[in-house]
Amino acid sequence: MYLNLKSKQENSFDAIVVGSGMTGGIAAKELTEKGLTVLMIERGREVKHIEGYETAMNTPWELQHRDKATINSLEEHWANNRFNSMANDEKMMFMTNDKQNPYVEKRPFDWIRAYHTGGKSMHWGRQSYRWNEQDFEANAKDGIGVDWPIRYKELVPWYEYIEKFVGVSGQKENWSVLPDSNFLPAMPMTPPELYFRKKMKEKLNRPVTIGRIANLTKAQPWHTELGRASCQYRNKCSRGCPYGGYYSSLSGAIPAAARTNRLTMVHNGIVSEIMYDAETQKAKGVRVIDQNTKETTEYFAKIIFLNAGSMNTAALLLNSKSSRFQNGMGNDSDQVGRNIMDHHLGVGANATIEGFEDDYVFGQRPNALYIPRFRNWGGDKQNNYIRGYRYQGGANRADWKRGVNADGFGATFKQDLTQPGTWTIGFGGFGEVLPNPNNRMSLDPVKKDQWGVPLIVFDAAFGENEFAMRKDIALSAAEMLDAAGFKNINTYNRPEVHLGLGIHDMGTARMGKDPKTSVLNNFNQVHDCKNVFVTDGAAMASSSCVNPSLTYMAFTARAADHAVSELKKKNL
Amino acid sequence: MNRRDALNRVVLLMGGVLSGPTLMAMKQWDNPGAFVPGSVGLTESQKSVVAQVAEMILPRTDTPGAKDAGVPDFIEMMLNDCYAQPEHTSFKKGVDQLLEAGFLNQSEQQRTVTLKGVEQQTKSLMQAFNVRQSKMGDNEDKLLMDNQNQGLPFWRLMKELTLLGYYTSEVGLNASYQYVPVPGKFENIKLKPNQKVFAY
Repeated sequence: MYLNLKSKQENSFDAIVVGSGMTGGIAAKELTEKGLTVLMIERGREVKHIEGYETAMNTPWELQHRDKATINSLEEHWANNRFNSMANDEKMMFMTNDKQNPYVEKRPFDWIRAYHTGGKSMHWGRQSYRWNEQDFEANAKDGIGVDWPIRYKELVPWYEYIEKFVGVSGQKENWSVLPDSNFLPAMPMTPPELYFRKKMKEKLNRPVTIGRIANLTKAQPWHTELGRASCQYRNKCSRGCPYGGYYSSLSGAIPAAARTNRLTMVHNGIVSEIMYDAETQKAKGVRVIDQNTKETTEYFAKIIFLNAGSMNTAALLLNSKSSRFQNGMGNDSDQVGRNIMDHHLGVGANATIEGFEDDYVFGQRPNALYIPRFRNWGGDKQNNYIRGYRYQGGANRADWKRGVNADGFGATFKQDLTQPGTWTIGFGGFGEVLPNPNNRMSLDPVKKDQWGVPLIVFDAAFGENEFAMRKDIALSAAEMLDAAGFKNINTYNRPEVHLGLGIHDMGTARMGKDPKTSVLNNFNQVHDCKNVFVTDGAAMASSSCVNPSLTYMAFTARAADHAVSELKKKNL
Repeated sequence: MNRRDALNRVVLLMGGVLSGPTLMAMKQWDNPGAFVPGSVGLTESQKSVVAQVAEMILPRTDTPGAKDAGVPDFIEMMLNDCYAQPEHTSFKKGVDQLLEAGFLNQSEQQRTVTLKGVEQQTKSLMQAFNVRQSKMGDNEDKLLMDNQNQGLPFWRLMKELTLLGYYTSEVGLNASYQYVPVPGKFENIKLKPNQKVFAY
């Protein structure tokens, strides 16, 4: 071990934020804006806004393999490419090399990582929803996992605050199942989608709305002053947006933090351990390994925010052993690493639509329709599963790809493919996953990565509740398409599904009221080490079925506010 | 709709779905390193067949054809880089069958008949292999099939790669579509007569 012995003073800050992604960005922004000096540590390489988006302006023919992943990429990015071609020429630069960053699977887990500035916020789906009141009450009601130490109402002001900063486009609906955000103008639905929405209301009384998405339909002054502009409807968000049209940590929170002049950023820094001070009974800093030089540096701070992504955050706690925390920091409850949740997906139905031949669209909407949960909600009661799911999907006119499966070739075939094809429509479900203590990750007792950090071992799978729900997701999607009068209805339910691919992995350091059964208190503080805050997905006690990032960010802003207030009171 | 019937519907969606090395990636977790890169290794006469078939699928008309757009080289590059041994084998098998049938010496009319036959045989093969589509992650369709070692049939690969290579090439895209790299807005419009597809 090479120890970098810079003076302690030089390496001391008010706060350390581990991770620069969705929640690390918000933590750094909030803490610096409230006057703290912050060190943000990113384990991956540095990406610069705009100039780092290497493929953003590429034409289709400039991407050598188009949207396909190569066999080489399949080897290097095997988790990314196991089910999708995520690490293709277009967006490989935002996917992490799985071969160089291995993990162990007792049961298969699709671990999708993003080791670079901005983390997964660079290629997130941008769908942004508030949880509803019942989401926070469900565990207590069902007697599953632990009760949340917080209710919806306490989070409302923080939702409002984050929504304004991030910019969320959507339609106000006044539905209790999907509380409205403070919206930028909604993106339009296409005529077949409006027809579908009408039919669902008439025939099944199911609500349909346009997706609520963190793309700027109308940039506000507080967006433009950070250099962000309105969405250009290219739908190439996952390459990084040179216009700042969608929210990422790199286009939003990091520049906001940087302009305070109180932010210091370290890249290529793998935080291997949180250092505990037995005297003060607080964490005193972190140990960081440079991923290139392998040199170790220690940094010190009054408070530490863990925003490394749910699995890495839990791994960091587990790897932070001391005489006080022999099983890992904050792990007196033995809940660190347990209760892995995600959203299960890859199940739904699609169909073709007759008519609407004159209707077409200009531009690419980076968004789709959203059908909120209707199962085990209101009057509905399912006998074979609890909780629920929601759908994402929409209608498009088929492009040349329809020619791949259709009969024919030659001059007429070629001419036909220059015209828009029939409208097709499809909906895929995203289901809530229950917390289960046996779905867990731990540290391998022997195997280590090239930096000497123990490998993560995954041992988790979906359970009966999820599989029962999946059948209903496929059937109900088909029923809706049938009720709307659409044709050629086709259901799908992917045979092999693993936790992780929803990329909503969460739950490994859950919040709770009782330190015996949970890791964090109601302000995301580690119960027995209160100057350590966990505000990424690890903190979640249940998973809801809606996309989680907005909620993570709201929790982060709330925790940062609490942290600063406690610091001022000298409680930390 | 009968709820039980709905689960048994397996049709290939008209919107189309592309194949890829994902077919093999399924088993990576218990068999890492099993799929190594390799060259499809086409002979000159095999290359001629590929070029002629591509041109039959998308011939030069008042707009450029597959060969003008560089599709034959694209197909070979894609087979080398994005597909492994099962597809290399099934692809070459299809090419060799055309060679043996004297495809290169056939008239255009005869070639049309030959390829229509291949198309019909492929449909039966696809059914026998139980080729089907599924959503994988959030928004990506993929083909699934039983026994992935047999490889997707030649005609299915040939057609997909010809269309992909042509309609996303600079020559083919600009000849076929209206290219709009930065639309700046999203709106519902009415289709005008002979309206070209917008490509982005």
